[in-house]
Amino acid sequence: MLDFFRDGFYKDLALLLVITILLGAGFSQGTAWAIDEYFGDTLDQMIGEYGEYDLMLHIREEAVDAALRELRRIGEQSFPGYKLGQTLTIAGQANVFFGLPPEYRTREVFESITSYFGAVPGLSGYTLMVQPSVLIRGVHPGVRDELIERIEALPAVRFAVKDGSNLVVLAQSEDDLPKASAQIEDILGQYQILELRFPMGFAVDTQEVGERALEVLRTQAGSSGSRFANVTSAQYGEDLDAFLKTLVEMRDFLGSYASKVRISPEPGVGLAIGERLVLKGAGQSEGELIVEVTGVFSGLGEGMIIEGSPVQSTDRVVYRGFRPADNGELGEFIGEVEIENERYRLAYAVDESLRLLGELEELAVQASAAVDNAEAVLVTFQEALLQLEVLQVQMRQLNEGIANGEAKPTGEQFLVSLLLNGLLQTLAKGVLSSGEESLDSLENLDIEEMRRSLNGISTQIANVQQIDVAAIMEQIGFVRDTLPDLSDAEIGQSIRLINTYLGGQVIPGERVQLLIRGERLNEKELERTFQEELGNSYLHTYSTSAGMVSPDARGEIFRILREVRSIVAGLLAIIFALIVLVLDHATIFSTLKQLRAGRRFQKRPLLRWADPLLLLGGAVGSVLLSSIYHLAGGEIPFCGPVVISLLGFGMGVLVVALSERFSPVDSMELMAAQALGLSNVQLMREVVIPPSRPGLLNLLNRWKQQF
Amino acid sequence: MLLEIRDLHKSYGKTTALAGVDFDVARGETVVIMGPSGCGKSTLIRCVNRLTEPDSGSIVLGGRDVLALQGKELQDFRRRVGFVFQHFNLIARLTALENVMFHLVMGGMEREEAAERALAALDRVGLKAAAERRPDQLSGGQQQRVGIARALVSSPEIMLWDEPTASLDPILVGEVLEVMEELVEHSGTTMVIVTHEVSFALRAADRIVFMDRGQVVEEGEPERVFAEPRSEIARLYRKLLIS
Repeated sequence: MLDFFRDGFYKDLALLLVITILLGAGFSQGTAWAIDEYFGDTLDQMIGEYGEYDLMLHIREEAVDAALRELRRIGEQSFPGYKLGQTLTIAGQANVFFGLPPEYRTREVFESITSYFGAVPGLSGYTLMVQPSVLIRGVHPGVRDELIERIEALPAVRFAVKDGSNLVVLAQSEDDLPKASAQIEDILGQYQILELRFPMGFAVDTQEVGERALEVLRTQAGSSGSRFANVTSAQYGEDLDAFLKTLVEMRDFLGSYASKVRISPEPGVGLAIGERLVLKGAGQSEGELIVEVTGVFSGLGEGMIIEGSPVQSTDRVVYRGFRPADNGELGEFIGEVEIENERYRLAYAVDESLRLLGELEELAVQASAAVDNAEAVLVTFQEALLQLEVLQVQMRQLNEGIANGEAKPTGEQFLVSLLLNGLLQTLAKGVLSSGEESLDSLENLDIEEMRRSLNGISTQIANVQQIDVAAIMEQIGFVRDTLPDLSDAEIGQSIRLINTYLGGQVIPGERVQLLIRGERLNEKELERTFQEELGNSYLHTYSTSAGMVSPDARGEIFRILREVRSIVAGLLAIIFALIVLVLDHATIFSTLKQLRAGRRFQKRPLLRWADPLLLLGGAVGSVLLSSIYHLAGGEIPFCGPVVISLLGFGMGVLVVALSERFSPVDSMELMAAQALGLSNVQLMREVVIPPSRPGLLNLLNRWKQQF
Repeated sequence: MLLEIRDLHKSYGKTTALAGVDFDVARGETVVIMGPSGCGKSTLIRCVNRLTEPDSGSIVLGGRDVLALQGKELQDFRRRVGFVFQHFNLIARLTALENVMFHLVMGGMEREEAAERALAALDRVGLKAAAERRPDQLSGGQQQRVGIARALVSSPEIMLWDEPTASLDPILVGEVLEVMEELVEHSGTTMVIVTHEVSFALRAADRIVFMDRGQVVEEGEPERVFAEPRSEIARLYRKLLIS
């Protein structure tokens, strides 16, 4: 078969291979480079060049103009030589870069970012992007200060700054980054956070359990020093915890706010939690309700309305409960169901309170007027009493004169005496038997005490009037208005949703976190010990690191871009090699197949299988692909030189096997050319290649073709 | 003898095409090979110019051991052997003239000289006027005449014809046979013609060779083999001739 190439076609083939390799490498590398440049430029526009900016401020879109003005002012006042740039606006949030001059890239400045930029209009947060730096994510608060101290002691590190739950570690120089990263990783590896998680519903005193757990650890590890620490409290402010607790509270609130459903099953009827019942009211106005059984206690059931609304009444409403039948009709009667509408009762009580307060103000005014009137009556009464006393003395003297015969009463004096006694009797409500006794009784009345009482009432009424009833009414009205306007069905569905979410959470219960310094412990081996020692077989142990070194985002993006470029170059090299094999080399392989058709039949099976043409195709494919791939700088993961070489070989073999389909050669023309005594190179240049598929082989052949 | 073939064997896998053929052709002689399809006729003449490689045996042409030729010697040898194909085997993208002069130029002849000779050859087969036409613009008979001109143009020592009329319409067969008979009569070139045209063989052949199952079963002068056929194949062709 090699004879075929000897008479000159080897030169054509060699030229084709060289040009193919150079073109393929150039094309693959060039395209990959263009992609890299395009994305690189785009990224520079998006995130700035390396070290150009130190902060990315996230600002509400509508406030961005004001924010930029304020940032310029801050820059001119506090950071002369600053740089400002605006990048993408995403979901209504503009992002603005702020670059500090080198002399301001200090710990003090980075720790005071909020005080510098806190007043920027529309600011919703910021991201530190100072370079060169190492970012440590998720640093546990219980070990943060210790970590900062140790990290700052590293020679390659300038300082470390807290950024939320992260630490940004500034390296001395970009060259120091790998070293600093490695050393920080080493330090982080010396800390382990061991977490003991208790299932939901377990009330755990985390401090006490934490101390007991520490004792267990110390006993286990035979260490009594400062190797272990309880860092549970440091983690309490964590967002997820707070969120879950809020959700639980919200669920409990909604549960207490929803209508109470009490199910009294008929004898012999059992209820299952989660079961749904259909409630039918007695009257037409009471529509159907769907209730889910949420609990069964001593045969009685509790439930939650998930469809429909009960009658708005402060009284209990009794429904008849049925199991739903498959056909949508009512099924088995299960018993009576009482519903108390707590929400309606609350609204009723609030409305009544408002009415009461409205009446109270009027009542106070009227009471004040009544007290004033009473006081006036009392004064009049006291004056009348004094005049009566005078009159009584005169009457006594008149009576004594008449008795001694010294005076004879006139008819008028006798009449006055009779009237006065009658009046006094009336005043004393008939208790007194004579005018003198009556006056004595009146004199015994404690007028001063009565006046003090009236004064006391008056003061209290004045106090009531000073109360800002309007404000109370307004606030009660506000409370009434802010009560959730939810139907029972909506409350029921909300509770179900919250339960579903809580059920899906992996951190539902209490947890205790222990810091372990030095050698790491196997948390799974400790789990059983903790379960036994802490008397809780449901607790589980998990281990996390004290923080994770996160690659520099910008560097990572550019590294990914470089990888993408290499992968693209590699893929293009493979595609290019395959195209060349199909368009150009398939023609050669196809011709070789035709030419050997008339050769002697190979009787030795081994040689029949070790087809030289397949080997040739494999070799060409392997050389082509390997050369293009490596010259183009291709790097596909898991595709080393051997893999690429084998891939090229496989491609070559495949193209040989299918060469007649890819590039059929006219066997009659070929035979004629042979019969006419054409050399192989002439045969290829004049007969085979000209009508073949357009490709490099065809193009290069045009300079040599005579016909 | 110009051509001497001895004990020639050729198999395609398990199928035997030639099973020890002995065959001679004298210079200037016109030999017609006849036999049923698959009897090895075409394989035999293709072995002569090494379009098919025999498995064993020997072929000597003009004193040269054909099977020993390699590379340029083989190419030179093939230029001295004219070959006319059953399916014409013209190069589709070339004109009739280019098809005829093509191998002359490839053999090193000046283009003008080659064109001149090609035109003369085309003239000889009556196709000078169609020199600039491409094969797809010619009829089957015309294409075959171009093929004959192409074989003739290099003045070969021997011309091998592989069933030149087999793929032609019966109407077109005549014009090709006419050219062939004229060449046989006037060119003086040694010819080995594989054909089923019995009357042509009777008229044109110096000797007829009958083959069956990869072997020569009978040979002789046309009058003799048709008058006194000794093999079954010869008898069949005699019947064909009579009918």
